[in-house]
Amino acid sequence: MESWENMISFLRWLGKLLKHMTAEPTGALLKPGDPGYQEAHTLTTNLDKNIKIITEIFGLSDDLMVRGMKIGRGKKQVRVAVIYLDPLINHTRLQQGLMHCLQTIDHLPSMGVTTEWLINNALSDGRVIEKKSFVEITDEINRGAACLLIEGLDQALLIRLAEKIGRAVEGPVTENVSKGAHDAFNEDVRTNIALLRKRLHTTRLAVENLQIGELTKTEVKLVYLKGYVIEGLVDEIKSRVRRIRIDGIVDSGQVEELIQDSAFSLFSLLDSTERPDKLAANLLEGKAGLLFDNTPIAIIIPGTLINQIQSPEDYYQRYWFSSWIRVLRWLALLTALLGPSLWIAIITFHQELLPTELLMTILVTREGVPFPGLVEALIMELSLEVLREAGLRLPQTFGQTISIVGAVVLGQAAVSAGLASPGMVIVVALTAIASFVIPTQPLSNTIRILRFPFMLLAASFGLIGIIVGFSILTYHLCSLRSYGIPFLSPLAPLSFGDLKDTLIRAPIWKMLFRPRLIGYREPQRQNPDQRPHPPSRKGKKFIRRRKQ
Amino acid sequence: MLDQGRISSVQLFLLLVIAEAATAFLYAPSDVIKMAGRDSWLTSVIPTISGLVVAVVCIALAKRFPQQVFTEYLPQILGKIPGKILAGVYTAVFIHLSSVIMNQSSAFIHVAFLRETPLVALEIIIGLASIYGVYLGIEVIARQNELVWPVWVLSIFIIILLVAESINPDNFRPFLEKGIMPVIKGSALFSSFRGEVFLLLMLYPYLNKKEDVYKSAVYHLLTTAVLLGIITAAIIGVFGELIPVYMVFPIYNLARYISLARFVERIQILIVVMWMFGVIVKLAVFYHSAAIAAANTLGLKNYRLTLLPILAGTIIISRLFYGDHLSLTHFLSHIFPYYGPVVELVIPALVLLIAVILKKGGKS
Repeated sequence: MESWENMISFLRWLGKLLKHMTAEPTGALLKPGDPGYQEAHTLTTNLDKNIKIITEIFGLSDDLMVRGMKIGRGKKQVRVAVIYLDPLINHTRLQQGLMHCLQTIDHLPSMGVTTEWLINNALSDGRVIEKKSFVEITDEINRGAACLLIEGLDQALLIRLAEKIGRAVEGPVTENVSKGAHDAFNEDVRTNIALLRKRLHTTRLAVENLQIGELTKTEVKLVYLKGYVIEGLVDEIKSRVRRIRIDGIVDSGQVEELIQDSAFSLFSLLDSTERPDKLAANLLEGKAGLLFDNTPIAIIIPGTLINQIQSPEDYYQRYWFSSWIRVLRWLALLTALLGPSLWIAIITFHQELLPTELLMTILVTREGVPFPGLVEALIMELSLEVLREAGLRLPQTFGQTISIVGAVVLGQAAVSAGLASPGMVIVVALTAIASFVIPTQPLSNTIRILRFPFMLLAASFGLIGIIVGFSILTYHLCSLRSYGIPFLSPLAPLSFGDLKDTLIRAPIWKMLFRPRLIGYREPQRQNPDQRPHPPSRKGKKFIRRRKQ
Repeated sequence: MLDQGRISSVQLFLLLVIAEAATAFLYAPSDVIKMAGRDSWLTSVIPTISGLVVAVVCIALAKRFPQQVFTEYLPQILGKIPGKILAGVYTAVFIHLSSVIMNQSSAFIHVAFLRETPLVALEIIIGLASIYGVYLGIEVIARQNELVWPVWVLSIFIIILLVAESINPDNFRPFLEKGIMPVIKGSALFSSFRGEVFLLLMLYPYLNKKEDVYKSAVYHLLTTAVLLGIITAAIIGVFGELIPVYMVFPIYNLARYISLARFVERIQILIVVMWMFGVIVKLAVFYHSAAIAAANTLGLKNYRLTLLPILAGTIIISRLFYGDHLSLTHFLSHIFPYYGPVVELVIPALVLLIAVILKKGGKS
């Protein structure tokens, strides 16, 4: 009997679940009678009624301030009301730009007060707009505007007096450079746009407003250079962003997952950056960017793998050095990906690859270790991963403890206890250091995950396992596209001319053209003949020409 | 056309080279040296001409149906039932050639290292890697090849550079001691390898600029000839004409010969590994042709359905018929020289003839 009851209750629960799953999403659409429905209506000429509706819409908000006053002198006084959300408003500007102006109005026009008259004669603050519907008005109030309602008018004036909340422009957290600009985006989208505009003083820079989130109504700015951006890219981004129906987003990372091409790939198909100079350089190539309110990370569309292993600093250093660093970075990338698996393959299958003396040394140190290479590597790698995560989450004051525990316990003690061989410790440490060379976080994280399947393959098939894994990986990479641009371009499909900004970095005066697949609308980037010459030669030419 | 991919003429050229050279270089030299002796490096010349004939025939046929692959337009030329039957034959040919390649590569790994790993396991993982590429389409295979190519060519150049000091010029003398006939005989053996340019029949429709196909084919033939000549010459130069005859993979022995400053030694495994990158792409090209041909024969809309059965089929053929190494070498040196030209040249030429007579397809 009991089992029957269990069964029935389970079925009921299942039914509820189904009903829940098939139900219409709430919050997306409002029906008459819903609390927010009145928002759809527009203002009336009755001041008290307007105030009442707005306060009703905001409900029990403690921070909504409604301040009534009378403007003008004598008998022709007109009642007005100022409504705003207290925490969002800059009070100095409210006082100077609105309240003071209203109080000092001496005489009102004989025709009656109009919004136009107020804007032209009374209000000193520049950012004033007129709105009629409650939806727009409440939206503006939510964003930090003060709403001025006037008796007898069905229009409201909204004065944007938002206080800038948040930190000042600071240096980047993850994308540090030694040479180059040290400012980074922060949580205020207006500041971010300003940082970008400061670098691109051109009317071609377009900043379009998009909005995501039914409740959060997060401001998203689509930025690109008109006439330079890839054809059709802007429409595609807009359509993908508009397709998002979600209650809210709080970070650009959430949007990234919603608008990128391949849903299940381990790789991040869009680049992200917190550096305005990097975004500006990418816009100059012909890409587009998305900036988000409340997120210091901008998204660059489309993304390529090559872009993710380059640092903006490469362009600021001398090209010899940058090229060297880029080669080094490729090696580091391979080490970070394949280090432990190569080690496993060599000590398990291909001992003959090592020179004899080295092999003898390694065999002696491995003598007491009870585990096969794979288990040893897994233990060390996993503990290193845990250590890394712990280092991130711990309060800064504990940071030192962790590094001591990591270095002494995992390194020294594991070796002397015979749990790991010194060779393995070196390889794991080298891998970890190499993975920090990768300049962007998403790629670094992908490599961290991919290391483990490669270790398994190496332990079962040796180098052939690694080759097979690597082939599958490159096949996957070759198949990826980000907004129509192949993820591996310009390597595959190969554009020979673009290779000078890929594995190496050619001198700036050599990089005549934009990337072939991205900047094809305005292929040429600079004048062809800009290679610097010693002044004597040019001077002579100049003098000769003047004499003629 | 079941695969909507598009490839450029450069990609086609690179694909053709890897599809021919990646395993031809492994086996062919020892058989050829058996016949042509110290003049074997000359054998890279004549097969280039026969390869050109194959290419011209295949391109002439393909140009009549620029939007279709070989097995797709066969029924239109020959009538429904004979066409389907011939398409089925070509499906079998591609599957068979894939299994031969599979067998060669696994045997190569087995001889070089991994003596204890079961060959079936090796074949399964190599096959899966290739199949994944086929699943993603010809475009992805072509792009992968662009990445693989430098690695693969680098492996050849490392070998040649590092054994260069051991090459003894006396090994090439006397020149043409027994006349030209042994060279021609050796060339006949090579011709069937070089005829693998007949893959053009299955790759032509994907080319984005159709007029560049001759360029791709000719560059491919020349590149392969040069590489093959250099490798054969290096083998003879280092080992003379007697020893390589008894070697299974002369190029592997060449790599074993490398010793630089007593530190760079025993790097043959690295060479094998770099080589395997190429083999996986080669296998993918043949699997792709096999899968498309099978799908055309069976009238499937999605060629990806045939992939796993084909993989299973190739592994079974490879293990059953070429389980021991002797049967593979027997096939390559005694059957393939006859079997190759028939499927690569004779049948396409006959089909072309029929198409011309019956005026099927566009003008070529």
